[in-house]
Amino acid sequence: MRDRLQTRYQVQAQLRRPIKERPAHEKSQRETTLLLPTLRTLKKLPNFYLSIVNMVGPIASLSQLNRADGSASYKCPATGYSILGAVNAPIELPARRDALKPEEATVEVFVKPGTTTAGVGERHVEGILRSVLGKIVLGREKGFPRRGVVLTLAIVGGENVERGDSANLSQYLTILPALLHAGLLAMVSASVPLSMTFSATLLGVTKSGDIVRDLSPTAAKAAVSLHVFAVSSKNHLLLNESEGRFDFDTWELVRERALSVCQGETAASADGDVTMGEGTASASLNGFIRETVEDQVYSDYAFKLDSI
Amino acid sequence: MSKEAQLSIAERDFILEALRENVRLDGRQPDDYRALNISFGEEYGHVNLQLGKTNIIVRISSEVTKPREDRPFDGLFNINLELTAMGSPAWENGRTNDIEAYATNTLDRIIRHSNALDTESLCILKGVSCWSIRADVHVIDYDGNITDAACIAIMAGLQHFRRPDAVVRDGRVIVYGVEQRVPVALNITHKPLSVTFHTFNDSKHVVVDATLKEEQAAEGDLVIGINSAGDVCYLSKYAGAPADAMVIVNKTNVAWEKVKQINAAVEKVLQADLAKRAKIGMADESRAENDRLVQIE
Amino acid sequence: MASSTTPISPTPPSLALPPSQFARLQPHAYLLAHLSPPPASNQPSVRANGRATSQFRVTSANAGSLTHTNGSAVVRIGDTAAVCGVRAEILHTKDIASWSVLQASSEQNFDKSNDVGVSESQDEEDRGHIQDLDLLVPNLSLSTGCAPGFTPGAPPSALAQSLSHQILSLLHTTRLVRADDLRIWYQPPNLDSEEFRNAGEGMDVDTEQSEDPEREIKAFWVLYIDVMIISLAGNPFDAAWASVLAALRDTKLPKAWWDADNETILCSDNVADARKLSLRGLPIASSFCSFEGDAAAGWRAVVIPDAEEQKQKKGAQQRWILADPDGYEEGLSQERASLVVDKENGKTVIVKMEKHGGWTVDSDDLRQLVDVSAQRWDEMKRILDQC
Repeated sequence: MRDRLQTRYQVQAQLRRPIKERPAHEKSQRETTLLLPTLRTLKKLPNFYLSIVNMVGPIASLSQLNRADGSASYKCPATGYSILGAVNAPIELPARRDALKPEEATVEVFVKPGTTTAGVGERHVEGILRSVLGKIVLGREKGFPRRGVVLTLAIVGGENVERGDSANLSQYLTILPALLHAGLLAMVSASVPLSMTFSATLLGVTKSGDIVRDLSPTAAKAAVSLHVFAVSSKNHLLLNESEGRFDFDTWELVRERALSVCQGETAASADGDVTMGEGTASASLNGFIRETVEDQVYSDYAFKLDSI
Repeated sequence: MSKEAQLSIAERDFILEALRENVRLDGRQPDDYRALNISFGEEYGHVNLQLGKTNIIVRISSEVTKPREDRPFDGLFNINLELTAMGSPAWENGRTNDIEAYATNTLDRIIRHSNALDTESLCILKGVSCWSIRADVHVIDYDGNITDAACIAIMAGLQHFRRPDAVVRDGRVIVYGVEQRVPVALNITHKPLSVTFHTFNDSKHVVVDATLKEEQAAEGDLVIGINSAGDVCYLSKYAGAPADAMVIVNKTNVAWEKVKQINAAVEKVLQADLAKRAKIGMADESRAENDRLVQIE
Repeated sequence: MASSTTPISPTPPSLALPPSQFARLQPHAYLLAHLSPPPASNQPSVRANGRATSQFRVTSANAGSLTHTNGSAVVRIGDTAAVCGVRAEILHTKDIASWSVLQASSEQNFDKSNDVGVSESQDEEDRGHIQDLDLLVPNLSLSTGCAPGFTPGAPPSALAQSLSHQILSLLHTTRLVRADDLRIWYQPPNLDSEEFRNAGEGMDVDTEQSEDPEREIKAFWVLYIDVMIISLAGNPFDAAWASVLAALRDTKLPKAWWDADNETILCSDNVADARKLSLRGLPIASSFCSFEGDAAAGWRAVVIPDAEEQKQKKGAQQRWILADPDGYEEGLSQERASLVVDKENGKTVIVKMEKHGGWTVDSDDLRQLVDVSAQRWDEMKRILDQC
C-alpha cells in the first residue's frame, strides 16, 4: 500500500518536476482520462461518492494542456460553470518591465468570457483574483522575482454571462468560486510555490432567510444577499465578497456555514492541516481540492509507486 | 516571452532533410491530417476540437439586436478569435499579435464573406430586430494550423447550434425559451473549410496541416478555402518564398478531397450527437410532463 | 510631530536623514515606527499622516458645481478629489432592439410576482428595466496628472475599469435610482386599443397589459454618470461613490412628454417643472486597509511553519486596520476591506462588504469595521445634507 503524502510541501516538491518530462505512455493515459481522475477517488472513498450523488459535487482535473506550464479544469455542476485555467510561470514579461517588482514575482490574471468580449466586469474580477492569489504565491522563491506568474482563465461552459451585459456582478459572484478553484489548481499544476491552499464557496440568503449553497445565476438574482467566501487550508478568511441587504449577525451565520462547507464539519480543530480522516473530511471543499491534487500526483508517479 | 522559441538549426535541418526523403516527424504522409477529434459540449454550439495537439473550443451564441442601418434585412454574424497565454506562452494576454490578425482575417473571408451562414435568414423584423450570431474561438493548446482547426470547429458549431424560436406578432417579437419550443437550426448555405499547406525546399515538398515545428521550418504557406462542391472561396499565398503555380493547382484538388473527408467526419459526429440529444430530450420531456402533473395535483 | 518619532539613532550626524527621506527609503519601517512607538517615548500610536487608525480624512462636498449637467458634485476626501457629472439623455423605446421583444419565458416572473408583495415585484421590475436596458452608465476616468503614474493617451487603466464596474454594480444592487423616475409615459387621449387587442393573444401579454392598458412607455431617461478623479491620494472608491451619490441627489430631470402630433419627445424648459430623483436610501462607502507590522509574515508562515504561534505568543499587535488609507498607506498594504452601509430607522444595514488580499482581517475586525462605517455614515450624511 502506498504511503499517503504527509504534507503539502512534499506534494509540491514532487510536482515541481516539470510535467513535460513525464514518460510518454503516462501522458497518453492521462489524456484519455480527461476529467476522470475523480473516478479513482470515488472508488477509494465510498462516502465521497455518496456526497457527490447527493449534492452533485464539483469535477476537477489537472494538467490536461500541453503548451501551458500548468493547467486545470474545474466544473461545478450546481452552478453549471466550467472553467479552464492555465498558468505560465515563471515567465519573462518584457512589456511590463516598469511594473515588475524587484524582489517578487508579478501575478497577472486574465479572465476570458466564453461568449463575449471581456469588459469592465472581468477587469474587476481579475483584480480580486490577483489580490487573493498574489498573496498566497510565494513570489520570492528562487527564480520568481522579476518574473511573471500569468494565469489565464477561460469560461468554457455554463450559462452565458449575459451578452452585452458583462458588467453584472451578481453573475460574477456566482462564478467567482469556480474561477478561484480553477486558478488555484492551475497554480499547483504549474508547480508555483504556494504558502497555502484554499477553497471558496458561494452562499445566498433567500427571502425566507434560508442559507443556500451554490446558487445558479437565476436563483442568485432572487436572493436577498449573496456571499462568496474563500477559506484557506488553515482556516484563514482569505476573501469575502458580500452584496445585497443584510446585517452583521446574518453575515456571521453565513460565515459559519461557509467554514463548514470549506473545511468539513470535523475541521473545527485549529490546524486544518490533514487531520482529516478518509471519509468524513473529503466531503469538504478543501478536502476535494486536496484529493484532486493527490490524485494527480499518484497518477503522475504511478510508475514509481508500482515499482515499490 | 512574446515570441515562440525558435527552432534550432539542427531541428530545422532534420525536418528539411527528412522531408527530402518524404518523411514527416510524426510519420504522416504529406497529404495527411493529424488525428481529428470533435466533441460537443452540453450547450448547443459548444465544440471541442482536437487536431493532433492543437486544441480549440468554439462557442456559438445568439442574441436579438437591431440590424445595421444600411442592411435592414440582414442579421449579424461575427467571428471572434482572441489568443491568450493559455494556448501558447508566447502569446500575451490582451494584446493582438500577427497570428491572431491573420487567422481572424482568413476565417472571416472563408466563412463570413462566402456567406456560409445565410445572414438574411437571421432577420426577424425588417430594420427593427434580427439575430446576432457570434462565434467565439478559444485556442487552448497551440501546435500549429489554428486556421484549419478553427474553421472546422466554427462550421461544426454553426451546424450544431440551435437558436431560440422567434415569432413576430403585431409588431412585437416573441422569443420562445428552449423548453417552450424546439429551437431552430441555423441556415447553412454551404460548408467551406480551409486547408493549409506549407512549402519546403523551393516548393518541392508541400505538406498539409503542419505542426508548429513544421510551420517554423517552412518557407511559405498556401491556404485554400473550398467547400464540398469544389467551389474555391478563398485562396491565399500569403507569406514566404514563391511557390510553383502547378503546386497551387494540384493542391487545390487535394484540398477538395480533404474537405469532403472532413465534412463527412463532422457530419457523422454531428448526427451521433443529435441522436443522443434526441434520446435525452425525449426522456427529459416525459420527466418534465410528470413534474407538471405533480404540480397540478 | 512626525519627525520626533523616527527611530534614527543620533550616533553619526552625517548619516541622519530627514523624516521625509526616511519615509521614502524605508516606508514600511517609517509607518511601523509611527504606529508602534517605543513604550518609553510616551507617544500615542498614530499614523504617519497624524490620524488615528479609525479616523477618516477631512471630507467636503459641493453639489451643483458644473453648469451643463443635470446634476453634479465635487467631493474631496483629504487630497483625493472626485468630480461627478450626471447627464440625462432620452432613449426612445423604438431604438431599443430588445424593447419589442417579448420573452415568452417572462411569464415565470409574473407567476413569481403574484406570490410576493406588490412592492417587491415593483422592485424587481425596477431592477430589470434599469439593468437590462442599461439606463445607468457610470464611467470613471483617472485622468492624466491625478497621480504621477498616469500618462496621457493611455487606455483606461485596470483600476479605472474596476472602479467603474464597482460603481455600476453598487448602483444596481442598492437600487438607488427608481426606474419610475426614468420612464417617460404617454397617455393616449382616446382608447385606440387595436394594438393591445391583437397583442393580447399570449397569456403573458394579457397580464402585462391588463395592469395599465392605457399608459405606454415611450422613452427612458438614460443617466450618464461620469466621474473624474482629479487628484488621487488613496482610497478612490469612497470619494468616487460619494461624488456619484451627491451628484444623483442633485440631479433634476426636466419634465418630458410624448408629443403625438410630432411623434417626438418634448421637454419643458421651465425649471419649476423639473423634478429631482427620489433615491432609495443613502449607502455610504468606507474603505480600510490592513497594515502588517511584519511585512514578510505570509512568507515566513511557510519557511518557519510555527511562525504564527510565535507571533501569538509575543502578543504584540502585529497589524493595524487603517480607515480611509492615503496613497502612501495603500502602497504598504495588500489587504483591503470595503464596506457600504445604509441606515434604516436607525438600524445599520450592510449593502456590500468585501475583503481580500490577505488573511489578517476576520469576523471580529469586520464587526468593528461595521461600527466604524456606521459612524462614518452619520458624518457623511451630515456633509451631504449640507452641500
